[in-house]
Amino acid sequence: MNAHANVLGFHEPGDGWLFRWPVGAKYLLMLAIVIPALAMVQWQVSLGALVCTMVFLVTSGISVARSLRLGWMMWSLLAVLALFHLATLAPVSAFVRPGNLLVAVLCARMLTLTTPTPELMDALVSVLAPLRPLGVNPDQVALAVALMIRSIPYLLGTVDDARAAARARGLERNPALLLTPVIIGAVAYAERSGEALAARGIGERPLAD
Amino acid sequence: MIHLDDVTVVVPASRRREPDRTLLSTITLTLSQQRICIIGANGSGKSTLLRLLNGLRLPTTGTVTAGGFDTATHGRQVRTRVGFIFTDPLAQLVMSTPVEDVELSLRGRIKGRANRATEAMRLLEERTLGHLAHQSIHDLSGGERQLVALTSVLAVEPEIIVADEPTTLLDLRNKLALRETFAALPQQLIFSTHDMDVASDAERVLVVDDGKLVADGEPAAAISFYERSMAGTR
Repeated sequence: MNAHANVLGFHEPGDGWLFRWPVGAKYLLMLAIVIPALAMVQWQVSLGALVCTMVFLVTSGISVARSLRLGWMMWSLLAVLALFHLATLAPVSAFVRPGNLLVAVLCARMLTLTTPTPELMDALVSVLAPLRPLGVNPDQVALAVALMIRSIPYLLGTVDDARAAARARGLERNPALLLTPVIIGAVAYAERSGEALAARGIGERPLAD
Repeated sequence: MIHLDDVTVVVPASRRREPDRTLLSTITLTLSQQRICIIGANGSGKSTLLRLLNGLRLPTTGTVTAGGFDTATHGRQVRTRVGFIFTDPLAQLVMSTPVEDVELSLRGRIKGRANRATEAMRLLEERTLGHLAHQSIHDLSGGERQLVALTSVLAVEPEIIVADEPTTLLDLRNKLALRETFAALPQQLIFSTHDMDVASDAERVLVVDDGKLVADGEPAAAISFYERSMAGTR
């Protein structure tokens, strides 16, 4: 599976009920599902939250396959988390901890799969508008959040690329060879994103020598 | 119109005992023609020269002005007038889908999300990209990405477009399509390329070598000069 299969996914137009809900309501729904699961730490609650989230996604027209297309890295993380708790003889935690993480990710996907990024940005600008007198620039915060959402699949992709490059040289067991290109790639990506915004005159400073 | 007055760009040496590197040396130019091409070998200073034009890079000495605005002191005003297209469109597209990327460009001039979304779709459809509007940018071909990047830059309504080797990563079909698109643009276009056919589309060709402007004139003469100089260095 390509790591560009984004953890948060990306919006495609749809006519399901979640697509028609306003962003604020979707945020509240997300919190209403995630907070009890995280606060109560009980397998029944986690299971209920998982089932609810999947039902909401599927009844909104998002297939099970697309809902669960989180990328190999997220699934690996969940598996490691479960195995760790199984190894420490905590079978309930082996379900609840990764289960709650999965609920949180799926709820975030519920928002990002059904809401265009510009709409999320506008919602954030509205929420942060009262902070303008304190020197907060809502437009820049919203832009930063949008860039963060965009950068996740790219950075996961660089991990995938670095793994493939290391494997091609028979060096896949050396973590330094994986980490170094990923860090360099992340810094280069940040610089390129800044330049890309500057190239269109979207809030930046020129690169001085 | 863009004017460069005695511009030099120097970067510090990567090691202590080495001298600083001069990327461009004492360039004075007035760029007024509608189609201007910059050619030169790899590392000759083409990209540095192009990046000066919209303030992505600032000169170490000298001044660059675009539409009367100094890139060093009025960077924002310059960049809203001078759009820049990168060689790799994936580096240019900052949002997840084409329609969202074009919408981002429109945030500065169109109020209301619904209006921006409508205009973004109209602009994409104008370039026959409407069917790709909601696809991940990772799923587009190189040519499609370059056209989306161009659409996003044009959405800002720049007066001048600067493109750094825009056809380098494209196959022949996409290269021809981009040349046609460029030919139809009403804006002034300043671009670099290694493709002499693409260079010959310009009215004026500048040849850069080792940070210096070594030829400047009609495409046929400038390209001929460049090809002779490259043959001489083999």
